[in-house]
Amino acid sequence: MAVEKEKLYRIHLMVCAGTACVSNRAFEIKEALEKEIKRQGLENEVKVVTTGCNGFCERGPLMVVQPGNIFYQMLTVKEIPYLVEEHFLKGRPVKKLMYQPPEEKTPIPVLSEIQFFKKQVLVALRNRGLIDPEKIEDYIAQDGYKSLVKALTQMTPEEIIHEVTISGLRGRGGAGFPTGLKWQLVRNAPSPDGEKYIVCNGDEGDPGAYMDRSILEADPHTVIEGMLIGAKAIGATKGFIYVRNEYPLAVKRILIAIDQARDYGLLGHDILGTGFNFDIRVVRGAGAFVCGEETALIASIEGRLGEPRPRPPYPAEKGLWGKPTCINNVETWANIPVIIDRGGKWFASIGTPTSKGTKVFSLVGKINNTGLVEVPMGITLREIIYDIGGGIPGGKKFKAVQTGGPSGGCIPAEKIDLPIDYESLTEAGSMMGSGGMVVMDEDTCMVDVARYFLSFTQDESCGKCTPCREGTKAMLDILTRITEGKGTEEDLSLLEELAYTVKETSLCGLGKTAPNPVLTTLRYFRDEYITHIRDKKCPAHVCRQLNVYTIDPQICLEKGHGCDVCRRNCASEAIIGAKGEAHKIDQSKCIKCGVCYEVCNFGAVKVD
Amino acid sequence: MITVTIDGKKIQVEEGTTILKASEKLDIKIPTLCYHPLIEPYAACRVCLVEVNLKGKTELMTSCNTKVQEGMEIQTASPRALQSRRLNVEMLLARAPAAEPVQRLARDLGIEKPRFPIKDPTEKCILCGLCVRACEQVVGACAISFIDRGIERKVMPPFGEPSEACIGCTACAHFCPTGAISYEDKYGRKVIHEELYLGPSTAIRVPIRQAVPMVPFIDEKACIHFKTGNCQLCAKVCERQAINHEMEDEIVEIEVGSIIMATGFKPFDARRIPAYGYGRLPNVITALEFEHLVNASGPTGGKILMTNGQEPKSVGIVHCVGSRDEHYNEYCSRICCMYSLKFAHLIKEKTEADIYDFYIDMRCFGKGYEEFYHRLLEEGTKFIRGRVAEITDLALTKEEEGKLIIRVEDTLLGVVRRVPVDMVILATGIEPSVDHNQIAKIFNISCSQDMFFLERHPKLAPVSSFSDGIFLAGCCQGPKDIPDTVAQAGAAAAEALALADKGVFALEPVTAEINEELCSGCQICVGLCPFNAITYDREKDISIVNDALCKGCGTCVAACPSGAAQQRHFRDKQIMAEIEGILLL
Amino acid sequence: MSNGSFEPRLVGFLCNWCSYTGADLAGTARMVYAPNIRIIRVMCSGRVDSQFVLKAFREGADGVLISGCHPGDCHYQEGNYKALRRYKLLVRMLEQLGIEKERCRLAWVSASEGARFQQIVNEFTDQIRRLGPLNFRFDGGSHEQA
Repeated sequence: MAVEKEKLYRIHLMVCAGTACVSNRAFEIKEALEKEIKRQGLENEVKVVTTGCNGFCERGPLMVVQPGNIFYQMLTVKEIPYLVEEHFLKGRPVKKLMYQPPEEKTPIPVLSEIQFFKKQVLVALRNRGLIDPEKIEDYIAQDGYKSLVKALTQMTPEEIIHEVTISGLRGRGGAGFPTGLKWQLVRNAPSPDGEKYIVCNGDEGDPGAYMDRSILEADPHTVIEGMLIGAKAIGATKGFIYVRNEYPLAVKRILIAIDQARDYGLLGHDILGTGFNFDIRVVRGAGAFVCGEETALIASIEGRLGEPRPRPPYPAEKGLWGKPTCINNVETWANIPVIIDRGGKWFASIGTPTSKGTKVFSLVGKINNTGLVEVPMGITLREIIYDIGGGIPGGKKFKAVQTGGPSGGCIPAEKIDLPIDYESLTEAGSMMGSGGMVVMDEDTCMVDVARYFLSFTQDESCGKCTPCREGTKAMLDILTRITEGKGTEEDLSLLEELAYTVKETSLCGLGKTAPNPVLTTLRYFRDEYITHIRDKKCPAHVCRQLNVYTIDPQICLEKGHGCDVCRRNCASEAIIGAKGEAHKIDQSKCIKCGVCYEVCNFGAVKVD
Repeated sequence: MITVTIDGKKIQVEEGTTILKASEKLDIKIPTLCYHPLIEPYAACRVCLVEVNLKGKTELMTSCNTKVQEGMEIQTASPRALQSRRLNVEMLLARAPAAEPVQRLARDLGIEKPRFPIKDPTEKCILCGLCVRACEQVVGACAISFIDRGIERKVMPPFGEPSEACIGCTACAHFCPTGAISYEDKYGRKVIHEELYLGPSTAIRVPIRQAVPMVPFIDEKACIHFKTGNCQLCAKVCERQAINHEMEDEIVEIEVGSIIMATGFKPFDARRIPAYGYGRLPNVITALEFEHLVNASGPTGGKILMTNGQEPKSVGIVHCVGSRDEHYNEYCSRICCMYSLKFAHLIKEKTEADIYDFYIDMRCFGKGYEEFYHRLLEEGTKFIRGRVAEITDLALTKEEEGKLIIRVEDTLLGVVRRVPVDMVILATGIEPSVDHNQIAKIFNISCSQDMFFLERHPKLAPVSSFSDGIFLAGCCQGPKDIPDTVAQAGAAAAEALALADKGVFALEPVTAEINEELCSGCQICVGLCPFNAITYDREKDISIVNDALCKGCGTCVAACPSGAAQQRHFRDKQIMAEIEGILLL
Repeated sequence: MSNGSFEPRLVGFLCNWCSYTGADLAGTARMVYAPNIRIIRVMCSGRVDSQFVLKAFREGADGVLISGCHPGDCHYQEGNYKALRRYKLLVRMLEQLGIEKERCRLAWVSASEGARFQQIVNEFTDQIRRLGPLNFRFDGGSHEQA
């Protein structure tokens, strides 16, 4: 296939088109840019490129100007004409659109100088913001498919597996099973008809986590290349990418990428003339969290009810349609091309003795720099939260971080210097998971957090095994009781008993990890539970049913002159008092909705 | 062989054995709920958990699906295993307090009352999935499945509606350990939900109580194996290994001297008269179905019940269904009048119902029959003379609602009547059996206009067919009741015996002969003879007829160019003379 | 037709098993059919020699009906097929001799088809009546020895 000679441009504008920026109207920005560039007659000099997620989602919509690596953030359509004229015509970068850290006076123009990016090491996300994910040429220009050529023409399957094994790469989906070992198992497993399968698990369902989505959106070809190399290593001819259907952009981009790869002869028959055959089908998940569990995922691809089955046999022996199947997470596959290109030793040089390489985390919650970060293993929580994440907004106190999604656990502030790797997280009662990281500040009630995450897993439990189906519900009932002030001390011991039994006896990973938020909060924040039960108080004032709202008559009268706003907004007519008078709350009528607290402009409503 | 230790006892078992099976060998009982030996383990109830120590690592494992490994140390009732088991059973008890096996297990484990809220005290389903798996793995129908997830999970056919994939085998109910799925026996049909039923009550049964030999057979139409290719549970449980699903029909050749045709009839298919609503309206049944219903060893034990399980208050009996009707069969089926009278009598005897008998002509031709008719008249059966036009459930008045309305012209009163009844019995007539035509072809038997086998002569040879040695008996020759059938069968048997007893067989004298002098040896006749009765004598250069083989058709005679072949009694000369004779005037 | 008083003379060769029984049935059922036909019973329609037909015409018949079992129903398995083959050749010869082919007819009548026999005979009689008398006459002698 003849590749058209690309026109050369003076400036490339890399506009982020990840889901977060797109919802911040990135496409409108792009259109405005193109319009303005044309108007100013720069269309032969400046080119607008849409890229995948840049990672600094907090500050979207984003744009990076190349060359120069100049980072613009929080763009609006209104400012585009000015920006184009100043920067691209007159050559004066626009300072007011650059990122300025809260505590600094001057903005930082260059992306690599920004703290958020400085500490990151990009392996899986190496092409983010650099290429247009809908163009295979861009990927190839970044040395894409180089590793595939190497794997197909210069390496035997054993050599590929050896390289992955010495890299120390472990499954990025959460469990951390050594990838090289898994490949070896699948390669060695006999198949009744010789057929073996490769699956890319993109059923990312954790609330607040979007690593897989970002990779599929920003760099779909790296996943395809990783799978191709894996297929060669284990001897598979068919691959499946299981993506959530709630990720329309990811589905679209991976489909485009597969089509392009087929056109280039990188998928299908006789790839690169080496006689190697492999093709990929995209399967869209129907939204069940449990389908991220590998046996449930297999059932779902086969068209059956997505529920897990007991292991063994592991998918490596009996997977899709009873044949040996290698299932890896999106991020794992994305790491493979780099390992083959730069060698397993190089990869192993990053990280800790047991956890090698880098890991992508989605940093969300009460943190200044929400976004997607890729950091080397072994980095401390402090570095992630304060250096990259920019600390807690509003100067609040850091309380805990929840890692590993709804099945992970909460790590308290005193463990902030914990180095992040598989073992230390497990030891702390949490887990690596797929890389969700929810930061919580002092305004967070840990009982409520546990209740929230449990309500998620309870809702997503498939219901096959007794402990997960009945146990999570029973635990949720108890937690709800506690947050409503109806909990007893027996409840607490029953909750603990349930949590251990569900963890120990559930059939699949979902149930086995579902009690983690409860267990870790019980371990580190037991006093909060006790306060809820004994004193019927929620220290963070999150559990509304425990709150008592009162109006300070002095403030009400002096500052607000009895403005009457609270009374008008009260749904249960619990507030007594006329305009100009000090108001009072009738506790027998109060339903503790908290509206008065929110509407009072003078701070007269107190909560206790 | 693998050596494991279970509760301190060592045992050697084959590789691939599960912990549960290995424990069984030691008579150690591990409680299970979702396990069934005939179905793949599911490991969902988590009640069979045991503590397993392997290479220093201790874990709880489900014994139903975990295979033993060398050196495993298993404790089936360690405190840790018991604790988990107890809590899981407690949770199941809260879900399904009415499930008997769970209650028993809870008692064994010392649980008095679950500490969790009970949603429905009558709930029996523990979501073990045995029904779903039986339907999928054993039956192969996949008619039911789990819907919803988590705590909302339940077993349902798709969309909660009666499933087309369901074949009504009731395997789900049989596998259900708690009795949460039930079915009813109605009309000899197993009813899982109202819309779904199957004919006979089981696929393996003895045809009737009086069957000889008294051996069960597999009904191919009802057997799951022949529907889905799965199941074969009967073969798995039969210790004698007497069941063979591979068995097929075979053709057996027997040489006999004579044949008695008694191939019987088929009842008229009442579906062919749409106006009578059979198959569409409930409680419109055929005579044969009523016989089945009223039989003392039948599905209701001889009680006359409607589909809703109640006794009918009024019953209509419709005569001449498919008989005496130019649209279907013009002939009279002869038996329906009398069995209809019998039905009327039985209904009178067993129920309080009003009986309406719709007839065209009452044909009580036999001995004592007319007297029986008079007896019924006295018993109060209401006889209405007229052909029924329609049976409908479309009510015009309040009294007709929920009833079957029979529309008929009462020819004695000269009015059109609408008679509302609860149940209608269609007195279906007799028709030649399904494969009647093929049988006629095989045996070379002619059929009369109504398509029943034709006897050689209605008066002189009433049980003989046109083929020598083939005799007719019963309804294959025409509709008749049991006494007539027995009489005709006796006659046919006597004819056949007479032939056998004689030991010799008189040939028809009309065979062909070849005049040796005239025969030129052209052999035209040899090729024409359908019975290979003519052979060519090479030495004499002539053809010779074998008298015993020749049936006397005369085809060879007509073809003989030299006039050497002649048929006895039908010689050329004789026929020529006949022609001359009849054309004299 | 032209001659209203003409009553044809017909000869029928009926096979013993089907057509003759059918005719018998028509008789016992008291079905009325044209009295013009005179019936000769043969064991099988295959027995009907072409000479019989010619002889009948020679002796003054205006039409000849050959009747046997329906195809496949022959008591002797295939006699009626032989009759059919012979009939096809015969009508060609009759035409050469100047006898209208309509004067010779082959019909299948089974033992149960009394009504059909009645209908065929009536039709055939009408047909021959419309054709009129056979005015062909053999000139004697030579044919008889053939």
